[in-house]
Amino acid sequence: MAQVRGWRKVLTVLAFISPTLIGILIFSIYPILFNTYISFTNRNQFHPNPDCAVGLTGLLEPTCWAVFKKHAVTGLGTPFRLQTPLFGNYASLMGTFFTAPALLSVLKVAVCFIPLIVAGFINRRYSRELERPISAGTVNLIAVILGAIIFFGLSGLSAFNSILASSDFFTVFLRTILFVVVCIPLFFIFGMGLALLLNVKDLPGKTFFRVVLIVPWAASNVSIMMSLVFRFFFSETGTLNQLLHILNVQPVIFLNSSLWTFFIIVLANVWYSYPFFMVTILGALQSIPAELYEAAEVDGANWGQKLTRITMPLLRPAVVPLIVLSAIGAGGFQMFGTAWAINQGGPSQGAGVPGGTDLVMTYAYKQVFQTNAYGRMGAFAVIIFIMLFIATIASLRVSRVTKGAYE
Amino acid sequence: MKKSIFVVFSLIITATMLLTACGASPTTAPATVAPATEAPTAVPPTATTAPVKITIWHQWDGAYLDAITKVFNQYMTDHPNVTIDLSKPNDVTASLKVAIPAGQGPDILAWTNDQIGSNAIAGNIVPLDDQGITQDFLTSTYEPAAVNGVVWQGKIWALPESQEAIALVYNKDLVTADYLPTDPMNFTDLTAKAEKFYADKHIPLLCNQGFKGGDAYHIAPVFFGFGVKQYVDDQGNVTVNTPEALNAMTWLLDIKTKGHLLQDADDAACRTAFESGKVGMDWTGPWAIADFDKANVNYGIVPMGKPFVGIKALMLTKNAVDRGNAAVALDIIKYYTNAQNEIAVALANKTIPANSAALKDPGVQALSTLAGFGASANLGVPMANTPYANAQWGPVGDAVGAIWSGKQKPADALAAAQKAIEDAVAQMK
Repeated sequence: MAQVRGWRKVLTVLAFISPTLIGILIFSIYPILFNTYISFTNRNQFHPNPDCAVGLTGLLEPTCWAVFKKHAVTGLGTPFRLQTPLFGNYASLMGTFFTAPALLSVLKVAVCFIPLIVAGFINRRYSRELERPISAGTVNLIAVILGAIIFFGLSGLSAFNSILASSDFFTVFLRTILFVVVCIPLFFIFGMGLALLLNVKDLPGKTFFRVVLIVPWAASNVSIMMSLVFRFFFSETGTLNQLLHILNVQPVIFLNSSLWTFFIIVLANVWYSYPFFMVTILGALQSIPAELYEAAEVDGANWGQKLTRITMPLLRPAVVPLIVLSAIGAGGFQMFGTAWAINQGGPSQGAGVPGGTDLVMTYAYKQVFQTNAYGRMGAFAVIIFIMLFIATIASLRVSRVTKGAYE
Repeated sequence: MKKSIFVVFSLIITATMLLTACGASPTTAPATVAPATEAPTAVPPTATTAPVKITIWHQWDGAYLDAITKVFNQYMTDHPNVTIDLSKPNDVTASLKVAIPAGQGPDILAWTNDQIGSNAIAGNIVPLDDQGITQDFLTSTYEPAAVNGVVWQGKIWALPESQEAIALVYNKDLVTADYLPTDPMNFTDLTAKAEKFYADKHIPLLCNQGFKGGDAYHIAPVFFGFGVKQYVDDQGNVTVNTPEALNAMTWLLDIKTKGHLLQDADDAACRTAFESGKVGMDWTGPWAIADFDKANVNYGIVPMGKPFVGIKALMLTKNAVDRGNAAVALDIIKYYTNAQNEIAVALANKTIPANSAALKDPGVQALSTLAGFGASANLGVPMANTPYANAQWGPVGDAVGAIWSGKQKPADALAAAQKAIEDAVAQMK
């Protein structure tokens, strides 16, 4: 009797969630599986059509199913097949990264970080003690100096350059990481600063400023078009150069320099993204009880101590997920629109190498649309998926490790 | 009782979803597919009285579309049983990929000739030889460059509509006869004139959006003018790292300094500079003429180098053959590209017809754009049909960009471009 009721319960539950489950299966799981399968083939413009005799192709490819087979096209091209080294697409994307010299270089660079990790352990060990022989700052300083000595001793710079040369993909990947590392703190600083300002009691014109400061967030929906405005601002005949012309200074070609173009992309991205941070932090600020600040004032805390000891820890539950989502989202790791609109991946460094400000998405776009190589596109997507997956898992651990001041 | 009603209800919803998924594909097709519908019957094409609907997917823009629509309306008046439906999808490649295997694609595809190769390989379009078009008909009706553009691997894939090529559009008020280049192949003369122009007027003589890199189409007249035959040929052989190409790039750096050219001018910057008199010439194509007319620039056109000649053409799709509409569709294509209609469209849109008789018409010959762009097209190199040509755009653009900004020497940049294109072609094979 209990078993029958159990089965009925399972069936009822299944009946309720099956519409969503089927939707997810058809629109999410199936395309991912299909894409992963295609990433192991040589499907491109010259081999666009499937060979339905091959088992897995016949199962996964829609034009092989009986329903669509009636109109299936067979052109002049040969059907696509699995790559002969099965990981062919992945290998060509990774370049020579997984060979001995490149991996040795990675090891050399990693070794330079060991002193810093050891310093972290030491500080954590001694942080709970009331008296410590050496202060935290000194430990960190010694670690940095040791790290620098090892770096120069193992010729770390040439090792780093050889990592970059081994694989275009890794150059682009590291540049994107740098982009995220530069952008996120700026988002936070601007968002936090403006939120603190707007949180001031009896600020004149508070409503007006709140509206005006949110406007860039609305513009971010059409970020590609707005980024053209930024591009115009810095172009050779643009606003900034026209001002310089008035001051009788020679025009500066900002877009010919990788560094300046990178700066312009960061500027545009910060402009679109700070309102989101500002609004979230403002909300979180208003949830902090005022008694805490009053108690701190009684104890003689100054403004800086109030900020770092009260405000920041209480903001952590709101801010940490925000930072993580921004980092792996369209304003961070997956940045495409702004970077593309400003200089299509930066001043060209020559054929066959990524451009000066090529980020992961602009690089993928160029690779794929030059040769319509669907197989390579699939491999790229799978690699990015794996990396973002690892990043998400790591971020979840970080969020759990961080506790709010109330816990 | 209530619980079982809910269970039944949700099962019905699930069943409905499954049925819609397995049914006609339009509901699951991506949003970019244009609303094309199938012809209602599969009547044999010789029965001209049966109602037939022909769908055309095109890329004609705004004002151009008006004159072209008139031609199709006239056909519908002459043939009351035929309905022609024009639609312009956003992403034609993706839409075709989904629509044609589902039987929902167009009957006629109006596009450029460089799309012939990839569509033929994918099986989207059919050769016109099987429908009764002969090589003789082609060569007797259309210009040689246009004929070359629509023939690939020995078969005829489309009928050409118009040709376009870029040329030097100059401001007659600023650029007087002594600053104009006299010989399209004499680039040294162009540099000398650019130097002289800057010395006299303190503004650059010309602006080309391809000079700063990233645009292998606009830099092509320079490469081909110096003797490069093609970037990539039909077999996939790459000829980018040649002495002629090196000469072309050395010239480019020379005119950059001597002519004090704008260093970072893209399409919009060149056009604005030309319209506001900050530059003497804009090296651009017929698509910009409408803007120049609106800006009331007194312009003239003179050819320079050997540009790419893009040929707009109409192709017949596999769906048309399956539906039995092939004969009617082909009739429409022949009607649209006949002399009389080409003259009408050319006069209205100021484009250059591919039909030889239309080109010889006095009204068309008198068009201000014809002498310059037409002469340029005659000198030019047709855009390649082969899909290998897709590999050329990125590397050539990157190489020119690195050369222009000084990041790489011309020899190194061209060698890198050669290697990059060869790698891409090898991957395609």
